[in-house]
Amino acid sequence: MAASIWTLQLHTVSVPLRIPPKAVDFRTDDLFNYAFRRCTRKRTFKNIDVVASGDSFTNGDGKNAKNLSDQVMVVKSEKRSLPVLLQDTVTKLQESVKSLPPPTLLVKKHSGVSLAIGLSTVVILLVIMMRSYVAKSSRPKRPGSVADLVRRGQLRSDRRGISNPLKYDDPFNNPLVKISKNNSSVEMCGKVYRLAPVTLTKEQQAVHQKRRSRAYQWKRPTLFLKEGDSVPPDVDPDSIRWIPANHPFATTASEIDEDLAQTNVYQKHGVPFRIQAEHEALQRKLEALQSEQKLGELVIDPGAAKDFERPFKTRLKSEEQAEQGPNNRQIGSKFSESESARDSFVNKRSSEEMEKP
Amino acid sequence: MLSLQPLSNPKPSSLYSSSFTPPNSLSPKTLKPIPTPKPSRNFYPSIHSILQYNRKPQLAGETPRVVVITSGKGGVGKTTTTANIGLSLARLGFSVVAIDCDVGLRNLDLLLGLENRVNYTVVEVLNGDCRLDQALVRDKRWSNFELLCISKPRSKLPIGFGGKALVWLVDALKARDEGAPDFIIIDCPAGIDAGFITAITPANEAVLVTTPDITSLRDADRVTGLLECDGIRDIKMMVNRVRTDMIKGEDMMSVLDVQEMLGLPLLGVIPEDSEVIRSTNRGYPLVLNKPPALAGLAFEQAAWRLVEQDSMEAVMVEEEPKKRGFFSFFGR
Repeated sequence: MAASIWTLQLHTVSVPLRIPPKAVDFRTDDLFNYAFRRCTRKRTFKNIDVVASGDSFTNGDGKNAKNLSDQVMVVKSEKRSLPVLLQDTVTKLQESVKSLPPPTLLVKKHSGVSLAIGLSTVVILLVIMMRSYVAKSSRPKRPGSVADLVRRGQLRSDRRGISNPLKYDDPFNNPLVKISKNNSSVEMCGKVYRLAPVTLTKEQQAVHQKRRSRAYQWKRPTLFLKEGDSVPPDVDPDSIRWIPANHPFATTASEIDEDLAQTNVYQKHGVPFRIQAEHEALQRKLEALQSEQKLGELVIDPGAAKDFERPFKTRLKSEEQAEQGPNNRQIGSKFSESESARDSFVNKRSSEEMEKP
Repeated sequence: MLSLQPLSNPKPSSLYSSSFTPPNSLSPKTLKPIPTPKPSRNFYPSIHSILQYNRKPQLAGETPRVVVITSGKGGVGKTTTTANIGLSLARLGFSVVAIDCDVGLRNLDLLLGLENRVNYTVVEVLNGDCRLDQALVRDKRWSNFELLCISKPRSKLPIGFGGKALVWLVDALKARDEGAPDFIIIDCPAGIDAGFITAITPANEAVLVTTPDITSLRDADRVTGLLECDGIRDIKMMVNRVRTDMIKGEDMMSVLDVQEMLGLPLLGVIPEDSEVIRSTNRGYPLVLNKPPALAGLAFEQAAWRLVEQDSMEAVMVEEEPKKRGFFSFFGR
């Protein structure tokens, strides 16, 4: 802005006065260098000296120019040489000066507008910040993020923050449900919902029930066939449903004795049946093993001695012997049944797993 | 969600329930003293913000009440409903045993956050590996809530045996030393095959969970038919994942439309809520959330109705714009 003003003024002045171009060039250069260096309008105004000199205007040589390095010399020649032109230029200069607003006014005008703009920006910023702060503070903390899965060990990840569980522990005081005065709306969790009455009557319910009883005729299955069983003669073959082999109910072989299972469910105290049975079986095996060992001590057998060095094999062998031994046959039939059932169950499971791809 | 009553009714509590009885007959389990309603000068009943929360619900029917929660279609929210209704009942002071009957795909333990505490299941009980009381997992948050899983994943039950086993279980729970539980809630697997048949065997009443779309409605109708064939007459439905905005825009069937199609009394209407997923992630049922979520409140009210064997008499239809004050700009 300052530069443009100055070029305008220099232009209006210098062209008609035929100022030697070298001096003017030099000085304006200097001036602009200076102006750019300081960047202060006030200072540049200060450096302008308008000097009126007479005829003896000499071309500014280098020395003179150096002395006036920070000054601009605008030289006016006498009126007699170019009176009309000069008058014109002077009036033009005056007009141009008049047309320009005074710098102080300019500054004042600008400062007023910018002050308002600045204030409004500050106010807007403040409002935005306040709103975001209020929204942030009013927003509930969000439990149930993926971090909870990490906390529960369902997701493998580094620690992602542990949220403390909350207890909404008063079911008898809930201020979040409010009904309007005329019962036509309800406010829940800050939202208002319109209510509409339910119009279902008993008659309609009965009609639906009749419709369903006609549409879906179903009887609970009473007979469960194993694979390979023949269909009883009084059963309609269409009513037989097959269950796929991978279904969780697809075992028809009852490896659990029903009566035993029932007593197991009803058992309130004491050691569970299976645990007790296994314990007793182990004890019997141990006894059998001990008796076998006593026998082995009597007969010195190098093969047996080798086996004693490796307890695993010994145990296996002794187990086999125990099973073959006469003592085992006296074990209660119930237990042996359940054991065999378990073994068969295990075998079956393993075979099923083998069958699966 | 709340029942409509004549305006001249002076009892604010009866706004909720038509089967409200005077507080004299309340059971001794009541946790809080019943506030005596202040006589209001207005003709209209004064607005009580704690309408159905200021008293303990009245337990109707014989205990233990064996309720099966079923749907037919998968993914409509049976397990979520079981967890939330179960814990709501526990919070209301009733003793609850929740049985996860989904033999192959059990998830109730995950929703309750008890997955690390399930060591024994019913299969082990039947086998004699443990006693029934060892297989019951007691919730530490609400000690009157217990979880029982039927089996571990990949283990199998013989068909025709599961139903009997569940009946024995109910009998054994009845004969417990500490007394029979008030509620036995059975989470039924999806489908209508052996798992379903097993799960509904010991039940006296059923809660049918459905969503307002035709796929789940068709399944729900079929399942209702099967339940009725099996002799379960007390069937109530629960409409889950309801979006009032879509109902308003005629993009979703309204709850009343669903009721017209199925002809069942309404136990509850659960709005769609993103908090459900969060609560599943946490293993912390929705009804324990603080502040409570909208779906959590709906579950609580449904539990309330289940206790009182009541059904909804009015449903939330659409959301009305709330009147906002001058300073609401700063709020949410």
